[in-house]
Amino acid sequence: MTASPHMPHPSHPAQSSHPSPDYGPRRLTVELTNICNLHCSYCLRDDDALHHQRAHDLPVELFTRIARDARQAMGIEQVTFTGGEPTLHRDFAGILAAVAELSLSCSFVTNGWHFDRVWPLLQAHRRSVTHVSFSLDGATRESHDHWRGRGSFDRVVQAFTRCWAGGFPFKAKVTLRRDTASELERLALFAARMGAAGLSFAHVMPTSAAVEEASALRADERAAAEREIAQLARIFRMPVTLDVGYYNTAPIAPCSPLAGTSGNVDYRGQLTLCCNLSGFRGAQGQSDVVGDLTREPFAAAYERLQRLSAAHAGRRLDALSSLARSGQAADLATGSPCLFCLGTLGKTPWVAPTMKELA
Amino acid sequence: MPSEPEGGATTPIPHEHVVFTDLDGIEGVLVDLDTKQYFQLNATASLIWRGLARGAAADQIARELTDEYDVTPEHARRSVDTAIADFIAKRLVTSRRARIAP
Repeated sequence: MTASPHMPHPSHPAQSSHPSPDYGPRRLTVELTNICNLHCSYCLRDDDALHHQRAHDLPVELFTRIARDARQAMGIEQVTFTGGEPTLHRDFAGILAAVAELSLSCSFVTNGWHFDRVWPLLQAHRRSVTHVSFSLDGATRESHDHWRGRGSFDRVVQAFTRCWAGGFPFKAKVTLRRDTASELERLALFAARMGAAGLSFAHVMPTSAAVEEASALRADERAAAEREIAQLARIFRMPVTLDVGYYNTAPIAPCSPLAGTSGNVDYRGQLTLCCNLSGFRGAQGQSDVVGDLTREPFAAAYERLQRLSAAHAGRRLDALSSLARSGQAADLATGSPCLFCLGTLGKTPWVAPTMKELA
Repeated sequence: MPSEPEGGATTPIPHEHVVFTDLDGIEGVLVDLDTKQYFQLNATASLIWRGLARGAAADQIARELTDEYDVTPEHARRSVDTAIADFIAKRLVTSRRARIAP
């Protein structure tokens, strides 16, 4: 899977230096399973969990209890399913039925490979499933399949087609790498012409030195890509957003997890701060995990999540203030909220060497 | 006897830049990846497309139409030719010979 859709939707960072926060409805992201049928080398999830461990699905009964309690304790209205590949959950039908029974709404991020099988379930739950987000790695068969394997592009195009023909809203999610950064307009045109209801980008996460070297944009390239995405957002009728990893030094919580309006539940039933940190490939620490919901009520773990969220938001504001006081611009590791959290929560397995000239 | 729509004795096959989605085993939708254009196919057009996709000859596809629908062989064959001509006009199919050639 690509980075998950939990980030807030503040006004686009390139459009304003002090965006008005719109963190969206209170919500949970939920990892339904650890496994995935594709092998995307840039994926942020731990490779062992994805491909070398036995399948571990979040039980429907546990999900139902968590969602019900989260609605009461946290006021959630929505759930976004990720994985792994969420459609591989052995009782995906039961999960969708639980959402509907709880009068919540949901969406999910998928590679589209198994969409034919899932489609009848969406038909049965049209009122509660707001949309589907498809991971897209290129606007051509060659570029998409380079990352996802042969046949993936045709599968996702067929999934787009099924949604389009059935009038079901779908969005495309693209990881921003060197190859996709040079194709932004083409990707936006492709998504728009396929009938997508939205297109969102997310910076590739630094899961290893190899990924960093092969795929990540340099600071100036990131800034250029972010400006281009802001431009596309103005041009296209379809919403075009940059959801993850963008440079944002506004003195407010930069995302819904740090604003305390969203949380993540991993496939083991643990409550964690953010879906982009959860199960991070090569991570050293687990300090984003605040509770085991198989053993304790949601409300108790949620209290700890709120404390972690507030403390970490404060920590970042302190770092930004300190840099501002010393007259320095925030470097990428601080200016990008995601990179800040990865670095300070012990997730980053690789940090590119940098050198600062001291006054 | 109706003439073959393209390339004499050859029946066209789907272009590589076209993706077919079978919606319900009956109707389908084509996507032309070059133009990013959708084409909705009704039941008979989908049957014809599926036939072309598996390399069936126009006569054979026409027989399948007559097996499935209340239509004369002549009418079925004309319908297959018309559909193929439409696919060709929209560059959704190519001749087998052309596709195999380097």
